[in-house]
Amino acid sequence: MQRTEKQETDTRLPRWSSRSLGTRFGHNIFYALIQLGGRRLGYFALHWVVLYYVLCRPSIRGRSYDYLRHRFPNQSLIMRYVNCYRIFLEMGRVLVDRTFLGYMGAEKMKSTVHGRQELLDLVKKGRGVILLMSHVGCWQVAISALNFLKVTVNLLLEQEEGNIDRHYFEYAGVTCPIRIIDPGSYLGGTLQILDVLKKGEMVCMMGDRVFGSGKSCLQVDFLGEKAPFPFSAFKIASATGAPIVVFFSYKTGYDSYALKVSKIIQTPENLGRSGESYRQYVTQFVNELELYTREHPYQFFNFFNMWQK
Amino acid sequence: MTLNEKLKTIIIEELNLEDVRAEDIEDDEPLFGEGLELDSLDAVELVVQVRKHFGVEINDIEEGRLAFQSINSLRHFIEERMTP
Repeated sequence: MQRTEKQETDTRLPRWSSRSLGTRFGHNIFYALIQLGGRRLGYFALHWVVLYYVLCRPSIRGRSYDYLRHRFPNQSLIMRYVNCYRIFLEMGRVLVDRTFLGYMGAEKMKSTVHGRQELLDLVKKGRGVILLMSHVGCWQVAISALNFLKVTVNLLLEQEEGNIDRHYFEYAGVTCPIRIIDPGSYLGGTLQILDVLKKGEMVCMMGDRVFGSGKSCLQVDFLGEKAPFPFSAFKIASATGAPIVVFFSYKTGYDSYALKVSKIIQTPENLGRSGESYRQYVTQFVNELELYTREHPYQFFNFFNMWQK
Repeated sequence: MTLNEKLKTIIIEELNLEDVRAEDIEDDEPLFGEGLELDSLDAVELVVQVRKHFGVEINDIEEGRLAFQSINSLRHFIEERMTP
């Protein structure tokens, strides 16, 4: 969101990619399996596919190591493989669930919202709401469960070429139930965001990825080492008066997810341009994210080196 | 002080532009990307400052594209909306 043009990049920042771990052929096999045999068949096949990736594809296995090294600093070589298997398996389950959600509809997945009344109260205030999420659990389930708010949900979403994971609404062939704001559009979509917040709508953003130049991020301690986190959501909140809701999802069972209002952050108005003004608020978000990784270590899906110097 | 000068002062002071003086900013110079090289978060601040100083809202992308081309276009945008 911080970039004004798609080409604007900064090689000093950790580079993440939305490119999928698997191949298009592999994904299509999974789509077919899920349609034929439901999620159970998808889950069954997943075990073997994940085992193959963990044992035979070191480059893909390596993408999980940076996080696992920080989350489990004293893990043995064997545990590294086990943890890699577990996190890939969880990721695969989320992808299967997401596919299932698209084919069968959101109502087939049980989701419990913790903090429902807080969300309703914030929406009622009419100042808009910024839902600050992360690449954890299944954010698609989280968004699909927000219908009860009866408010338009906007999602800041960038997709680069090579990302072949479809979103749940793409399977059903229906009109997208949420409005997408492209961070590669004019001024990074910020004017659209200001506009929809002014109308009292909701904007979902990811708080754990930095786009473009490092100007809009702060180095904050995360799992024992400094990593860059964007402060743009907090700046927009300060400019508009919209509250920030830290909102995470996690899988709780075969067909169930929990969605949790982890924290509500109200930034003072007109904090200004300097990133340092937002440090305490970004830190609050990062602390919540760290707490999440303690509680759900295998549902954190950032497969790149967030801590890269 | 002309409106153009006031706008330049606001941009320099409120956006904390270091090593930039009002006379360094050309009236037709692009504000974003090239020229002054402001970024998208500066746009947020600029929207806030235009509202604060002139009571004028920049509501969407179309208005933003119109207003944020240069100092001249921003002045024109503000003048149009301030005129009763």
